[in-house]
Amino acid sequence: MDLITSVISLGFVAQVLRLMTPFYLGASAANFSERGGVINISVEGFMNLSAFSFAVISILTGNITAGFILAVLINLLFSIVFGYFTVSLKINQIVTGVGFNLFIAGLTKFLLVYIFSSSSNTPRFEGLPEFTLFSSIPFFGLFLTDYITLFCFLLIFISAYILFKTRFGLRLRSAGENPAAGESLGIKIRNYRYYGILICGFLSAMAGIWMASNQNSYSDGMIAGRGYIALAAMIIGKWKPVNIFFACLMFSAFEAFEISLQITGSDIPSQLIQMLPYFITILVLIGFIGKTKPPAADGVPY
Amino acid sequence: MNILFGIHKPDSGYLKVFGTEVSFKSPLDAIENNIGMVHQHFMLIDDFTVLENVILGDEITKSKGLSIDFKKAGIVLNEIIDKYDLGLDVNKLISEISIGQQQKVEILKLLYRRSEILIFDEPTAVLSPVEVEHFFKIIDSFKADGKTIIFITHKLNEVKHISDRISVLRKGKLVYESDNSNELNISDLSKAIVGDINDIQNSEKRNASVKNVEALKLDDISLTVNEVKILNSLDLTLMKGEIHGICGVEGNGQSELVDVIYGLQKNFEGNYEKLIPGGISLVPDDRKRKGFIKEFNIGENISLKGANLNFLPSKKINKISEKIISDNDVRVSDLESPMSELSGGNQQKVIFARETETDKNIGSNKSDAEENNILLLVHPTRGVDINATSFIHSKIIEQRNAGKAVLLISSDLDELISLSDRLSVLYKGEILKTFNRNEFSRFIKSDSEIEPETDQNLY
Repeated sequence: MDLITSVISLGFVAQVLRLMTPFYLGASAANFSERGGVINISVEGFMNLSAFSFAVISILTGNITAGFILAVLINLLFSIVFGYFTVSLKINQIVTGVGFNLFIAGLTKFLLVYIFSSSSNTPRFEGLPEFTLFSSIPFFGLFLTDYITLFCFLLIFISAYILFKTRFGLRLRSAGENPAAGESLGIKIRNYRYYGILICGFLSAMAGIWMASNQNSYSDGMIAGRGYIALAAMIIGKWKPVNIFFACLMFSAFEAFEISLQITGSDIPSQLIQMLPYFITILVLIGFIGKTKPPAADGVPY
Repeated sequence: MNILFGIHKPDSGYLKVFGTEVSFKSPLDAIENNIGMVHQHFMLIDDFTVLENVILGDEITKSKGLSIDFKKAGIVLNEIIDKYDLGLDVNKLISEISIGQQQKVEILKLLYRRSEILIFDEPTAVLSPVEVEHFFKIIDSFKADGKTIIFITHKLNEVKHISDRISVLRKGKLVYESDNSNELNISDLSKAIVGDINDIQNSEKRNASVKNVEALKLDDISLTVNEVKILNSLDLTLMKGEIHGICGVEGNGQSELVDVIYGLQKNFEGNYEKLIPGGISLVPDDRKRKGFIKEFNIGENISLKGANLNFLPSKKINKISEKIISDNDVRVSDLESPMSELSGGNQQKVIFARETETDKNIGSNKSDAEENNILLLVHPTRGVDINATSFIHSKIIEQRNAGKAVLLISSDLDELISLSDRLSVLYKGEILKTFNRNEFSRFIKSDSEIEPETDQNLY
């Protein structure tokens, strides 16, 4: 099969949509945090942490449900600590985020060696059950194959609804835009910032669990910058759920293309393609998609 | 006011609202007791619609209680808007509407929360005369509805015009209280405000002018920004040793005119000539945003002005700070406190000093001929307390007497009339007419009647 036919096919489109899952979950995670005024660049680390804890706990207990639940809880616990640092102690959010990323990278490496005596990966495990309801439906059956991907597509609408149509969303956004104004109306800004961070922890857990489940194991460095790309997608998507979806599609299309290159054994070096998403991110950030405006109080401790 | 609104707690004493003693822990308690406040600096979210800003914190939700009922909220708000003739579109973003309308959004917030006691902190400072009139109409209709209005201002004619009772606060004390009646004398009021400090007799100190030396000449200047014509064949000549006032409603090209003269805006058509040596100094309109770096202390902010200092030992910085503080009577608790801790009046004194102090005094080795001889002042006393205002006024006269060419842009007509040698009317980017001092001097009031802007935290 040559490159062109492999790219121009329904299967390729489905592949793009499927690979979008961790990007969109990560971007949406970061978006909830930033809408509440907290820049959370540790989405990468949180994804890594949950992929690790989901795989390890599932393998050790032999119970995927336990792995799933505990992975989520561990992420929420780390989120609370992140919130304590950035919201309660008002430590610089970027510095805290970098610290979390480095700490989690080291912790997972250490535990990997400690538990499995392997510096690269865990043994294989079953992964999450498949979602089979759509499997006989053409096209949709090709990418809606697990519950998290299904949730991810619903999330586009759920997050838009929560942010813009609910009381919670309005108050969360006030914490990110002008906390002093929100507070003068009796809104407990700090609580809302914690909520944003917790939602971020939950959604990045979904992304990490999907990664480990999809690969049926955890391997060191498997997140491979997807958390950072998710942040870029959030910025390109101008902090709007539907726009973020399209930004994520672009990134997953590159990833799918790169996979096609490797499968078809094309002469184009895959590293070049791997580079492209980052290159495009820079182009976009320079201002090719118009001005991007973050929430006004994003990153400002309150 | 912060105690009334629950932001601060009193150390002693009690507060009674409608006859019951209350103690507020937060603004929320005040809101629940039907007290509402419009802050001097609006508490609005630019990226939210009018509706979102108003309902925030007290949302009308659908029966389930989670999602907002935008339709119903819109109906409720439009009822209030129609009743008090506020003329707002609830679906517009705050960033899309004017300052005057933004204030109405703040008012709408109070009405939506059924406030019976309305506190306005300097509400008219940001309004044009027409907007002020409309604002007073709204206030009157509140009064007719039986609401209580606390109106904080330093504009005495407005106090006289709108109030039923007048109180003067100075340094945390009630120093004057009276019913507003015909016998009420504005000069008594201003005496109560100023206290024992003697007025600086601005107009008395005026020297004969060093006229007929042109300092700056704008000839047929036009400026179009985003396809809107902002300056329209504007002609303006600035003389040495004169204060040239510019009056007119804000938004008629004032800030663009300053940008053109100061070199911030280069895309204009027409001729612009500077005819005397030296640079141009600017006291900008929005001091918090453009005037200084709030984290820096006084000396550091002064040193920013291109002084030839490559090394800034803190001793030297402190020396500069000391000099500025003693020369300008700046009230500051600590030599090294950041500018943000100073009151508005003191901040303005520092900026004014930076722009007018001879460079030699602040460590530069420029020659006298290179001194800045043109001074642009934009709202130099906006939001500034009464003492700092008269201080700055006397400094402006001093600069003029020293032969500098001063351009004074202000929305305070009294300030313009008492200071200007010539006064030009700016309307839609054009100078409509220029008056000489003898043409408008009959409007000059005795100094005690000038109503300088007051920073309320001084009292």
